[in-house]
Amino acid sequence: MNTQEWALLTFTILGQLAAGALLVLMVVRSYATAKAGLKEADQMTDGPLFMVVPIMGLALLASLLHLNNLGNVFKAVPNLGSSWISREVVISGIFVVAAALYTFLQWRKVGSNGLRTVIGWVTVVIGLVQTYAMGMVYMLRTQPAWNTPATPITFFVTSLLLGVLAVAVALVINYNSIQTKDAKIAEKQLELLRSVLQGIAISAIILLGIEFLVLPVYMAYLATQGAAALESLQMMTGAYGVALVIRLLFVFVGAGLLATYLYRNASSAGKEKAMATLVYSAFVLVLAGEVMGRFLFYATHVRIGL
Amino acid sequence: MTKQLGFHFDASACTACKACAIACKDRSSLPVGINWRKVYEYGGGEWITDPNHKDLMSPSNVFVYSVSAACMHCEKPICTEVCPVSAITKGENGIVTIDKDKCIGCRYCEWACPYGAPQFNEDMRYMTKCDFCQDLQAKGLNPVCVDACPMRALEVGELDELQAKYGNLSAIEPLPTADLTAPSLVITPHKNAQASGQGTGHILSLEES
Repeated sequence: MNTQEWALLTFTILGQLAAGALLVLMVVRSYATAKAGLKEADQMTDGPLFMVVPIMGLALLASLLHLNNLGNVFKAVPNLGSSWISREVVISGIFVVAAALYTFLQWRKVGSNGLRTVIGWVTVVIGLVQTYAMGMVYMLRTQPAWNTPATPITFFVTSLLLGVLAVAVALVINYNSIQTKDAKIAEKQLELLRSVLQGIAISAIILLGIEFLVLPVYMAYLATQGAAALESLQMMTGAYGVALVIRLLFVFVGAGLLATYLYRNASSAGKEKAMATLVYSAFVLVLAGEVMGRFLFYATHVRIGL
Repeated sequence: MTKQLGFHFDASACTACKACAIACKDRSSLPVGINWRKVYEYGGGEWITDPNHKDLMSPSNVFVYSVSAACMHCEKPICTEVCPVSAITKGENGIVTIDKDKCIGCRYCEWACPYGAPQFNEDMRYMTKCDFCQDLQAKGLNPVCVDACPMRALEVGELDELQAKYGNLSAIEPLPTADLTAPSLVITPHKNAQASGQGTGHILSLEES
């Protein structure tokens, strides 16, 4: 791993987190609207929505660090015809602009709610395309450890897993700030928050299941794909074996154990403090686990040939 | 005008003297760490129980040969495919070149190329690689690697003609299989040459290459 790969790690992790978080926020918003009405939904998600653009902005800044010749960036003509990195850059730019637009419209309540909802969902789709494009960047036929469906699948799982937990964190922070301002509103919000957190806990457990299903299939597949793939596999189980185990443990504890406790905790009233602690620690653990997972992704690829 | 220039490499003649690599480095004043042409020594072998002394091991099937490799100016160059800013193009005579005024130094081509041809210049902050000495070729001269070889193991020419003369082999170990990028290369194999992807040996000159 060099500076460049750390920049890419930051870009992909934060970019996926931002895209996942927006999707989760839109789902939470529809749910809250259906369950408690538009006003409660706005109370719940308007604050957390502000996290998407700064996170995506950071991601894009990190992606610039990956380049060595910034002077040429503005002269660059994107090679959209065949280069996924080009498509990724363009779609990321569109995503951050669309997300900023949606956040602004939602903040200032410009236009009807219906129109804003449509813009929000369109932005979600752009975010999903961005995650897909990020995956395709690594689908190089000369990089067998990357050139498998596991790459985009894992990117989507990371995006959703970090998305649900980051949104959980933001919802809890948002709730705490409402509570200090207006206890009455907070009371209404709490019930809603508890049911949303239950949904988030279940989603995290399901995503963890997918992640733990993909990994062994992926590793078994690598064993059959020639010398370079085998070398990658040996790095994963050998030199980086401990890191892999710690990474899995982090995600398991965060998205498995803590999410289970969170589900139970959110099911009964009066345990808000513990609920918040569970949300924060689950997010931190899963973020650490996913960063390590992405580190391994960049550390263990072996190119075919010389 | 030729359609696609290519190299012929005679692995049966190469002695791994590396004059080609040095001539290349000298002509283009390549800094430490950058070598557009490299010579890879590939070898292997095994130990077997000595038939005459059951308590001794003897080496068996020991082999070594070398492969001189630079940019293959491929017919399906993966570098041009993946470059986000179209800085790498396949031009006249099929020569693949990097436009340093367009390169943003993302090093994506470095990940993609199975020949390790595009190499990053830390001082200049852009990618560099073999340009087939196209300025010399325009004057009717050979690339310097070709003329430097004391064994005449390298030859440059129209790919079709080289194939007619020497056959269609374009990959032996440790080169990648030809289906990945369709290299403009014709190989006369060494007698011990192993098929790409099915080798039993490994690159022995790792520190040089």
